[in-house]
Amino acid sequence: MHSLGIAFDLLFGSPIILFSIVGLIWGIIGGSLPGISASITMALLLPFTYGMAPVQAIVMLACTYIGAEYGGSIPAILIRTPGTNSAAATVIDGYEMKKQGRAGEALGISLWSGVIGSLFGLLMLIMLTEPLSWVALAFRPTSYFALGILGLSVIASMTNGSLLKGLAAAVVGLMISTIGTDPISGVTRFTFGSPELLGGVEPVLIMIGIFAVSELMMQSGSRDIGGLREQVKVRLPSLSMMNRLKRSQFIGCLLGTFEGLTPGGGGSIAAFLSYNEAKRWSKEPEKFGKGSEEGVAAPETANNTVASTALIPLLSFGIPSSNSTAVLLGGLLIHGLLPGPRLFEQNADVVVGLYLGSFIATLAQIVVGILLLPVCVWLVNRPRAYLAGFILALILSGIYTLNTSLADLGIALGMGLVGYLMRRAGYPFLPLILGVVLGHMVESSYRRSLLLSGGDHSIFLEDPIAIGLLLASAVFVTLSLVREFRDARNAKLKDAHA
Amino acid sequence: MRHPAIVTAVAASLSAWLASGVSAQTPIDYPHKVVTLVTHSSPGGGSDVFLREMAKHLPKYIKATFVIENVQGGSGARAVSRLATAPADGSVFYATTPTYIYTSLLSKTQHGYKDVEPLVNFFTDSEVIYTRTDGPYKTLKDVIDKAQTSRGRWGAANPASLERQAAEQLKKAANVTPAVVSHEGGGDLMINVLNGTLDIGIGEIPELRPQLEAGKIRLLATFDAKRMEAFPNVPTVKESGYAIALDKFRGLAGPKGMPPAITKIWDEAVPKILADPDYQKVYRTESLVANFIPHDRYQGFVQNFGTVTEAFLRENGVLK
Amino acid sequence: MTERTAAKDLAGGLVVLAIAILYYLGIGDIAESSLADDVGAGGLPRILAFVLAGFGVVLVARAIIEGALTRVPKQAVTVAQSGDNDPIAPLPRALGFLGFGAAYVVLVPIIGYLPAIALLIGAVALFEGAATNWKTSLIAVGGAVGYWAIFVRLLGVRQPPGWFF
Repeated sequence: MHSLGIAFDLLFGSPIILFSIVGLIWGIIGGSLPGISASITMALLLPFTYGMAPVQAIVMLACTYIGAEYGGSIPAILIRTPGTNSAAATVIDGYEMKKQGRAGEALGISLWSGVIGSLFGLLMLIMLTEPLSWVALAFRPTSYFALGILGLSVIASMTNGSLLKGLAAAVVGLMISTIGTDPISGVTRFTFGSPELLGGVEPVLIMIGIFAVSELMMQSGSRDIGGLREQVKVRLPSLSMMNRLKRSQFIGCLLGTFEGLTPGGGGSIAAFLSYNEAKRWSKEPEKFGKGSEEGVAAPETANNTVASTALIPLLSFGIPSSNSTAVLLGGLLIHGLLPGPRLFEQNADVVVGLYLGSFIATLAQIVVGILLLPVCVWLVNRPRAYLAGFILALILSGIYTLNTSLADLGIALGMGLVGYLMRRAGYPFLPLILGVVLGHMVESSYRRSLLLSGGDHSIFLEDPIAIGLLLASAVFVTLSLVREFRDARNAKLKDAHA
Repeated sequence: MRHPAIVTAVAASLSAWLASGVSAQTPIDYPHKVVTLVTHSSPGGGSDVFLREMAKHLPKYIKATFVIENVQGGSGARAVSRLATAPADGSVFYATTPTYIYTSLLSKTQHGYKDVEPLVNFFTDSEVIYTRTDGPYKTLKDVIDKAQTSRGRWGAANPASLERQAAEQLKKAANVTPAVVSHEGGGDLMINVLNGTLDIGIGEIPELRPQLEAGKIRLLATFDAKRMEAFPNVPTVKESGYAIALDKFRGLAGPKGMPPAITKIWDEAVPKILADPDYQKVYRTESLVANFIPHDRYQGFVQNFGTVTEAFLRENGVLK
Repeated sequence: MTERTAAKDLAGGLVVLAIAILYYLGIGDIAESSLADDVGAGGLPRILAFVLAGFGVVLVARAIIEGALTRVPKQAVTVAQSGDNDPIAPLPRALGFLGFGAAYVVLVPIIGYLPAIALLIGAVALFEGAATNWKTSLIAVGGAVGYWAIFVRLLGVRQPPGWFF
């Protein structure tokens, strides 16, 4: 029981609890600030970890990640602005619940689901890291292409009634993703000579623009929206509610684990996928989009699961599957820790400490989450006029921290205008965001696959993972389309009766 | 022993302190108290770690405090701009890598690599050709042979990069036409080598180290001019019969027109830093090869690198 | 389908078409490289441009047809009301709001972070109906100092430096 000994030593011999709680608090606050993603929150912490012992630094960073995934849902629910990318799916039903005066309940569900997701993810992390490290290895360019297609197939069910507009929005998203350096040949595309665009347009700018800036624009001039009249107190779900959430949380856990294991996935895709699946398997799918509890639980479970399971490819292969784990990798390397199979032999204290710290943070999440909420609620309760000024100022200051670039501010503001016009013209904008997020992966892995095969498309049929994922997307699209047409027909029948 | 790791760490730093005490020499006076070292990489990124390690050891030889400034974005263009507009008095430098040359060439940057003055070079990163251990390739010749008889599959980390350039040069030199597939960085590439999608990858030692130590990766050759110290059994590409050698340089650059008094201090101090035993321990584990190039030669070196790269990009139609 | 939404759909379709055309024109700037694959750097963009143009044409056609249909008197067409009572600011007002953000981007390199962010908070608050009094200016200045403390002092992120600050 060597590792148990290490665990005891870490728990009582060094202030590991302190580091995990500080990381958690920092994560919740950072995650709840719109424009500051989990990875930025972690990156901002990085300079402070230089002086720490390796295990302390890594625990603090990992716990920041956990906290940020919950923190991101606070503004998503309260002001319709996801604090982190992966909370974007939470906006849909979380904000609806808030409009119905059930903000506290939504926050409670988010918190509870975050705990479930973290615990499940941690369990997976401990169980799978060593034996299942081959999953990442089995992913070839063909599999990535199929994974991207699976992500894009979600669009079909996200267009709420206007399929054509949704598809057009998705194509525009794909177009944005082609800006920058070509992934295969290295020539520049649509950069107009600007070095700022060489690396492409960062999805976070588009998300902030389309979600947050356009929302502020829509609200401009209205007096009473924004501030919460009621006192928001986190209401943890009752036992019967917990029971009702089980199904969507289970879906979130599964998809979160899957996305965490596969590099390139990340929390936001997992959140959208599980939102969609939770809707499909729900007993009350009609409540989705109108304040469904399950609609909050599924994505929040998924993104917290990812926060733990994304560490699996990181620790076992040194492969960061998301921006946040890339920052964590930086943290490991700064302290001279090399991820890989030997990490478990040579730095067992760091690995065990990481498990332990994450466990503490997961449990502490409930208490810390409840204690910190008044701070966030106080902010949202200010008069709308001031709030609008402060939110815009926060967005503009926060985006600047990304690359310290004023051009980024311009992009986000421009996307705000795009989002406003899309709302006015009845275009759904989630397809656009998915297009931006997935376009690069789909294009580059498709072209890589064909390069490898010499232009022969049968290479996709040689990869069982690709076949499985492509079949899944086909089923997906068919089901969505069938439902779309059935709904349209039902609406027509209703009209005829009326 | 409750804390063996901590005790070892304390002992290590003690001995380091003693060692530095023994070899202590008075640092050269410097006209600035604080010197800013700019990098385009984010905290924790390649150049950032390089600078932070260097900043720890520099004050032993140059009497100043060194602070790191991360100017991210624009693939290095913003950092170069920051440098080009800074006073040319030795108070601001920029960590150079081939990245800034590629960026200057590929976009209409306000300030390009010709607008700053290379100061001195510190290191060369070792670029290697690697394959998976349980794969069919034991030597570089096996790989070339395969590319001659059937479709070879080679990988490079990034599309417009030195590694890609190396792959294309090797193709030409060996007169073969394998597919050269660019990836999203070294980690992505390594997976595709490990799972057999690719025959070989071209990359750097630090990103391979975990798998190298686990025995999953075999090094076939290095693009270094000489064999690597840490892997004396790995031949160079040159030895294998293809006259290609890469210089993935790491050094410093300053604004144009730095006074000779400043460059002289660096010319004097850098060889000493590179010989510092503590610093050597650090950079050798990262497989950095000390490659001091003094100020007068470094400018020509970087210009030449830029010309060769530009010619390569034009020849292949990447640049119009 | 009302005449109003038909007009909006027509405008939306035309914008989609315009994006497709502008994007297609941008493809001409992509260099042909011998390092490229068979699909090429322009491969996907060309497909995207055509697909979007196709969507645009269909959207425009549909809007025109539906616009024509709504002029024909028809028996009680019930439009499914979305239960959405989101606030909708008119375009000039929304653009005005966006203008403050744009003004900030222009101003901040000149006057520096602290004064620019104070002006931004104050101006937006007034635009959104805050009273013109000392309280608003106090909140703006206090907020600016707060942000400065968080971002510049606590997090150590350099905000844009101005000529004065």
